[in-house]
Amino acid sequence: MSRTHDHAPIQESEEISEFEVLETAIRELSISHGLFSAEDHRRFTEWAESIGPAGGSRLVAKAWVDPEFKERLLADGTEACKEVGIDWNNPTGEGTPSDYTFFYVLENTPKVHNVIVCTLCSCYPRPVLGHSPAWYRTPNYRRRMVRRPREVLAEFGLYLPPDVEVRVHDSNQKSRFMVMPMRPEGTEGWSEEQLAAIVTRDTMIGVAVPKVDWTASSAPSEALSSPSRGH
Amino acid sequence: MSSSNRYDVLMHMLDHIDAQAKPALSDMDREPARWESSMQATCECLTWRGSWSNKDRRQAEDELGETLYAEFPHNSRQALVAAHALLDKGFITQDELSSKMKEVRERFERV
Repeated sequence: MSRTHDHAPIQESEEISEFEVLETAIRELSISHGLFSAEDHRRFTEWAESIGPAGGSRLVAKAWVDPEFKERLLADGTEACKEVGIDWNNPTGEGTPSDYTFFYVLENTPKVHNVIVCTLCSCYPRPVLGHSPAWYRTPNYRRRMVRRPREVLAEFGLYLPPDVEVRVHDSNQKSRFMVMPMRPEGTEGWSEEQLAAIVTRDTMIGVAVPKVDWTASSAPSEALSSPSRGH
Repeated sequence: MSSSNRYDVLMHMLDHIDAQAKPALSDMDREPARWESSMQATCECLTWRGSWSNKDRRQAEDELGETLYAEFPHNSRQALVAAHALLDKGFITQDELSSKMKEVRERFERV
């Protein structure tokens, strides 16, 4: 094992939180009393931390190519998710408390652009988008998106024409939202897999729109076109 | 709800956390501490294996978080209510929890 690093060690507070002690005590007592196993806990943690935005991308791509699915998705998001293998009740059968809720998919049109926020805290559609990005949880984004959405969107490089209505949807304990962006021109004949690749996390939050030459796995330098101020 | 003495082990934690003020809005701008994520997993496992329901737990967090545990930091309430519920349901006793916390604290403080 290497004993040297060429950088300074990570500095963390050495103070032990009483709540860290309480959490460990509850977990270890639960395990020793057979309420669940250490393996259960590890598996849940691994599963929860592995969820990303791929599920949301699949939902949008499928809706783009299947009008009947799109109708079902817009009518009952939670139920339609099961068609792409996402069950909001997983893995406990009840869903996590903050996810045990209604899921609404918001369709962008040439005249309406949707964007999501949680002004109170950090509510986010985790079963379809995974963990929220750090900026989504900042007071800066939460406070300003509801007041000056065009200004905030411009900071993300998204400039919307004045005749496009911006609708900001505030998540809460019982409602989760996800944006269904418009399918871009130039994607005719694409497979669902190809389409899903350009439906990135940010396009489903609403701070970006899909581009034919851009996927979340691309390095920024791989984009074929330079950014523009156009929608 | 039974005698508040049952929760003394939890209420006494207030004596050690007076420096931890209630979080302001800006405090939400942070990653959850490792123990918070672990606590969430513990709560989910307790639901998964049938010790309680998530809906009941959420309701208890709302009710007790605004009453008995209102003086505690917001991010600690899930752990407090989980312990509270396990005590209420008889899964653990206060003596067990108290001695386990002592054991864990000593383990963590060992260099």
